[in-house]
Amino acid sequence: MKQYKSAKAIRRRNNILIHSLLAVLAAIWVFPVLWVIMTSFRAEKGSYVSTFFPKSLTLDNYIKLFTDTTILNFPQMFMNTLIIAICSCILSSFYVLSAAFCLSRMRFKMRKPYMNMAMILGLFPGFMSMIAVYFILKAIGLTEGSLIRLALILCYSGGAALSFQIAKGFFDTMPMALDEAARIDGCTRWQIFTKITLPLSKPVIVYTVLTAFIGPWVDFIFAKVICRANSDQYTVAIGLWKMLEKEYIDSWYTSFAAGAVLISIPIAILFLKLQKYYVDGMSGAVKG
Amino acid sequence: MNILNAKQTKGYSPYTCLAALGQGDTTTRLSAVVMGLGSICHGQVVKGILYLAAELGYLAFMVRYGLHNLAMLITLGEVEQQEVWDEAQQVYLYVQGDQSVLLLLYGVATLLLTLVMFLIWRGSLKSAYKAQCLQQKGSHVNTFREDLTTLLDDNIYRLLMTPPMFFITALTILPLIFMICMAFTNYSKIDNHLVLFDWVGLENFAALFDSNSILGSTFWSVLVWTLVWAVFATFTNYIFGMLLALLINRKDTRAKGFWRFCFVLSSAVPMFVSLLIMRTMLQPNGAVNVLLRSLGLIAPDASLPFFTDPTWARVTVIVINIWVGVPYTLMQLTGVLQSIPAELYEAAKVDGAGPVRTFCSITLPYMLYVTTPYLIATFTGNVNNFNVIYLLSGGDPVTNLASAAGSTDLLVTWLYKLTIDKQYYNVGAVVGIMTFIILSVGALFSYRRSKSYKEEGGF
Amino acid sequence: MHKKSLRLAAGLCAAGLLLAGCGPVSGDSGAEKIRLMVWSPSEDQSKDSGQWLQTCCENFAALHPEWDITFVYGVSDEASAAGAVAQDPEASADVFMYANDTLTIMTDANALAKFGGIYAEELQATNSETLLDSLTLDGNIYGVPFTTNTWYMYYDKSVFTEEDVKSLDTMLEKGVVSFPFVNSWYLPAFYFGNGCTLFGDGTQEELGADFGGENAVEVTEYLVDLASNPNFKIDQDGSGLAGLRDGSINAIFSGSWDAAAVQEILGDDMGVAALPTYTLNGEEKQMYAYAGSKAIGVNTATKYMKASVELAMYLGSAEAQRLHYELRNVIPCNTELNSDPEIAADPVVQAQNDTFDRTSILQPFVAAMNNCWTPVENMGKAIRNGSVTKENAA
Repeated sequence: MKQYKSAKAIRRRNNILIHSLLAVLAAIWVFPVLWVIMTSFRAEKGSYVSTFFPKSLTLDNYIKLFTDTTILNFPQMFMNTLIIAICSCILSSFYVLSAAFCLSRMRFKMRKPYMNMAMILGLFPGFMSMIAVYFILKAIGLTEGSLIRLALILCYSGGAALSFQIAKGFFDTMPMALDEAARIDGCTRWQIFTKITLPLSKPVIVYTVLTAFIGPWVDFIFAKVICRANSDQYTVAIGLWKMLEKEYIDSWYTSFAAGAVLISIPIAILFLKLQKYYVDGMSGAVKG
Repeated sequence: MNILNAKQTKGYSPYTCLAALGQGDTTTRLSAVVMGLGSICHGQVVKGILYLAAELGYLAFMVRYGLHNLAMLITLGEVEQQEVWDEAQQVYLYVQGDQSVLLLLYGVATLLLTLVMFLIWRGSLKSAYKAQCLQQKGSHVNTFREDLTTLLDDNIYRLLMTPPMFFITALTILPLIFMICMAFTNYSKIDNHLVLFDWVGLENFAALFDSNSILGSTFWSVLVWTLVWAVFATFTNYIFGMLLALLINRKDTRAKGFWRFCFVLSSAVPMFVSLLIMRTMLQPNGAVNVLLRSLGLIAPDASLPFFTDPTWARVTVIVINIWVGVPYTLMQLTGVLQSIPAELYEAAKVDGAGPVRTFCSITLPYMLYVTTPYLIATFTGNVNNFNVIYLLSGGDPVTNLASAAGSTDLLVTWLYKLTIDKQYYNVGAVVGIMTFIILSVGALFSYRRSKSYKEEGGF
Repeated sequence: MHKKSLRLAAGLCAAGLLLAGCGPVSGDSGAEKIRLMVWSPSEDQSKDSGQWLQTCCENFAALHPEWDITFVYGVSDEASAAGAVAQDPEASADVFMYANDTLTIMTDANALAKFGGIYAEELQATNSETLLDSLTLDGNIYGVPFTTNTWYMYYDKSVFTEEDVKSLDTMLEKGVVSFPFVNSWYLPAFYFGNGCTLFGDGTQEELGADFGGENAVEVTEYLVDLASNPNFKIDQDGSGLAGLRDGSINAIFSGSWDAAAVQEILGDDMGVAALPTYTLNGEEKQMYAYAGSKAIGVNTATKYMKASVELAMYLGSAEAQRLHYELRNVIPCNTELNSDPEIAADPVVQAQNDTFDRTSILQPFVAAMNNCWTPVENMGKAIRNGSVTKENAA
C-alpha cells in the first residue's frame, strides 16, 4: 500500500515538474510572438523602446497600414501576394503530387536519374541563380507590368517538383495492391491517380498546399530582384522589408509589426486547423 | 552509374538508336536527317509531322539566333560601348556594346536547347524504328489518338513529368550551369570586368586555394565554422525537438494540443519577421537587455554581447536556431514517434529500463534509423541556411578587419556578400561550387549507406 | 484606356484646329512620340506630398511641345537605383535619381550618361564647385544635382546651448549624445579631424587610405575612451531617435531624412547644428562629415537622349528644386535658390549648408572606396566590442 502511494507521489511530482518545464519553454517560444503583437498595438513610434510593455495601446498601426497607401501601398501588396500565392500553390501542388505519384507508383528509365538530380540540385545555394533567372524571365518578356506576377508565380512554382520527397514517401506507404486491383478493374493510371491515390492522401496534399502557399509571403529576395522599380507589383515581403529601411524605420516600425501579425494570422489558422494532417503527412513520408 | 541502375530496373529495350541506324530501313535511317520521316512512312503521320515541326523550329532558331549565340560563347563578346558627342544636340550618344553576362546566358541556353533537341532526335529515331519493326511483324502500329491515350495510362509519367521538368530545366538547371560557368571567367569588379569578361580557366580556384591570400585563409575558416554550425544546428534541433515531442506525447501530459499550439505558433510568423525581431531584441539596447536590466540581473549600463562577441554570437545563432527550428522538428517527429511499436517499450519496461535507458536504447536508435534521410536533408539545409545567419547576425561580428567574412558567416552568406555587396561574381561562383562539392560528397556517401536508400525501389 | 482616350482627344483637337485653319505649326503630326521612364523615391510620387515628380514631368511636357511624351513612373530610391540600373540598363529608367556614392556602380556598368556642352555649362553656372565635384569623374559630369546629402547634429535646446554644441566634450558633460559608431558613413568624421585622408583629395586613388600612422592611432585611442563614456550611446537601427523620444538621449547625428521626426519629438526645442569639435590630447579638432549629393542621372541605354537630358536638367532646375523643398523639404542646392532669404532662414537648410561648406569633406567615389566601407564598419564594431583597446590600437 505504501509503495503504491509513493509511486503515485513520484508520478505526481514528475507531472508537476514536466508541466512547469513545458510552461517555461512555451513561454520562451511564445514570448517573441507576443512581443510582435504588443508592438503592433504600441502607440509610441520607433523601433527601440526603453520600457518593455507599451505605455499606451492603439489600433492606429493597423489603420495606417491600410489607409496610408501613398508611400507603401500595403493593401495592393497584400492582394498581389494573395494572387501569386494562390496560383503558385495550385501549380506547385500539381507538380509535386504528380511527380511524387510517378516516382512512387511507376518505374521508368528516367526515374533514378531524376531523383538523383533532385538531390544534387538541392545542394546548391539557390540565390546564386537569381540574376540568371531574372534575365531568363526578361528574355521571354515577363518582367514588365502585371506580367511580373506571372513571372513570380513561375519562379515560386518552377522548382517545386524537386521537393517531392515528402509526398513520395507518403505515397510509398500506400499498398501497391490497391493500384493493382484497380488496374485489373480496368482503371487507367490517370484514374488511379485522381480517383484512388489523391483522395487517400489528404494529409500530404494539405502539407504540400500549405508549404507552397506560404512561400510567396515570406520570400524577400527573389521578389525584389524581379519587381525592380515596379512598386505596384510588390509583394508583402518586400513591403515589410522596405518598412525597415533608414527612411521608414522610425515611423513604420509599429506598422511593420502590424503587417507581420496580419500575414501570420491566416498562416497560424491554417497550421492549427491542419496540424493533424501536417503531422500525419510528415510521419508517413519519413517512415517511407 | 545512373544509367546502369535505370537499365536494371527497366530492362533493355530492343528499339535503340544504334539499332535504328544499323538495322532500320531507308526511311528510318533517313529520319536521322529528316526527323519524323520514318514515322510518317510507317503509318504514324501526325507524330512524324510533330517531329518534323520540332526539327524545323530548331533549325529556324539556330539560323536566326542559335549559331550566333554559340559563336559568342567562345569570346563572350568584345565590342565595347561606343560614345559619340553630338554637337547639334549637345548630348553624348551611346551605341551599346556587348554584354558578356547575356551572351554567356544565351549561349548556355542554346547549348541546353541543343541537348533537348538531341533527345528528341533520338526519340524520333527510336520511334521510327519501332514503328518499322511493328509494321514488318504485321503488328498494330499505334495511331496518334492511341498514343495520346497511353499518355493517360502507361505513359502517364511523360504527361505528368514534362511540365515540371520543363520549368526545372529553364529556371533551375539553366541558371545553375550559368553560375558554374561564371566560376571560370573573370566576371568581377576587380579590374572592372563587369560588362565584358573572358574565360580564365581555373585561376579563381587557384586563388581560393592559395592559403596565403586573404580569400584563401577566409575560405577555410568560414568552411570550418559552417560545418560546426551545421552539425550543431542539426543535432540540437533534432534532439531538442524529439525530447519536446516525447514530453508532450507522454501519457500523463495534459492539454497536449495546447502545448503543441504554443510551440507551433512561432512558426506561423514569417521567418524573416521573427528573425529580424529577434535581432532587434538582442541588440545592446534591445528588449532582452532592457528586460534583464529592469529585473536587476545585469548592471543598468551593461548589456550582454549577443552579436558583438564572436563566441557569444556563435552560441546565440545556434540557440536562436533552436527557437526557429524546433517547432518544425516537433511537428515532423511527433508522428514518427507515435509510430514506434508499443511492444518495444513494453519489453523495455519488463526489463526494468528507466526512461533514460529507454530513450537511449529504443527511441533514439529507432528514430535515427527511420529519419536518416530527413537528417541529411536538414544538415544540407543548415549548411545553406542563409536566412538565419543573414537576418540574425549578418555574419557579425567581424574580427579580421581585412576580410569580408565575419565570425558567424557561413559559406552561403559569405558568398552573398562576395556577389551582391562586392560584385566578385566569379569568386562567389567558385565558393558556390566548393560548397556543393563538400555537401554532395557528404550527402551522397551517407545517403547511399542509409537503410532507407537501399530499400528504396525494392518492390 | 485612359491614355488612348487622351490621345484620341488630342487628335480630335488637332484635327479641329486644322479644319479651322489656324492650327499651330507643330501640331500633333509634328510632335515626336516618345516614351520616357522615370524613377524616383515613392515620396516624390505620393499624393500626400504633392506628387512632385508628376507635376514636374507635366510641366516639362508643357514646355516641350515638340515631343509628345508618355511618362512611365517607377519607384526606386536614390540608394538602390544604381544597383537596378547597373544590373540591366536596357530595362531601366531613362531618367532616375541616385546618390553620388553609387556613381561608380553605374559607370562600371557603362550605364550612366555624361553631360557635356551647354548642359555642363549650365550646371557649372548654377551649382557650387564642390557640389559638382561630387558628380565628376575624370573631368566629366554625370548628373544634375538636386540636393546635398550629408549629416549633422540634432540636439535638444533645453539641454544644450548654442555655445555647448560647438564642442563634443562639453556636450558629453551636460547630456547624453548618440552617434552611429558602427556605420562607416559616420565614423571617419573623427579621423578626418586629425588629418587623415582618403585617396588624397578624394580622387587620387593611388594615394590610398591614410588611416594608419600616428594620427589615426591617436584618434582610435580617443574613440576607445569615447565608446566607454557612459554619456555616449551608440546609435544603431534607429535607437538614437527612440532615445531622443523617451528623453534618454539629448543629441543625435543624422541627416535631413530625420528632420521631420526630430521636429515632432522635440518641437520648439529642436536645435540643428553643424558638427562639433572634439578634444584630442588637449587640442580642438573639428569633425568632418562625408558630404555627397543626390543627382538626376540619364541612362546610356535611353532611346531619346536629348529628351532625357532635357528632362534631367528640368528636374534639377531651380524651379523643380523649389517645389521639392516646398512639398517635401528636400534641401535645395541651387546657388541662386539658396540665397533666397525665405529658404536660407530654415535652420535645417542652414545646418546642412553649413556642414556642407564648413565641416565636411567630399565623399570619395573612386572604385577602391567600395573596399573601405566594410573595414571601417568593422573598426567601429571592434572598438564597441572592446576587441580594439588602447594597447592594440595601432
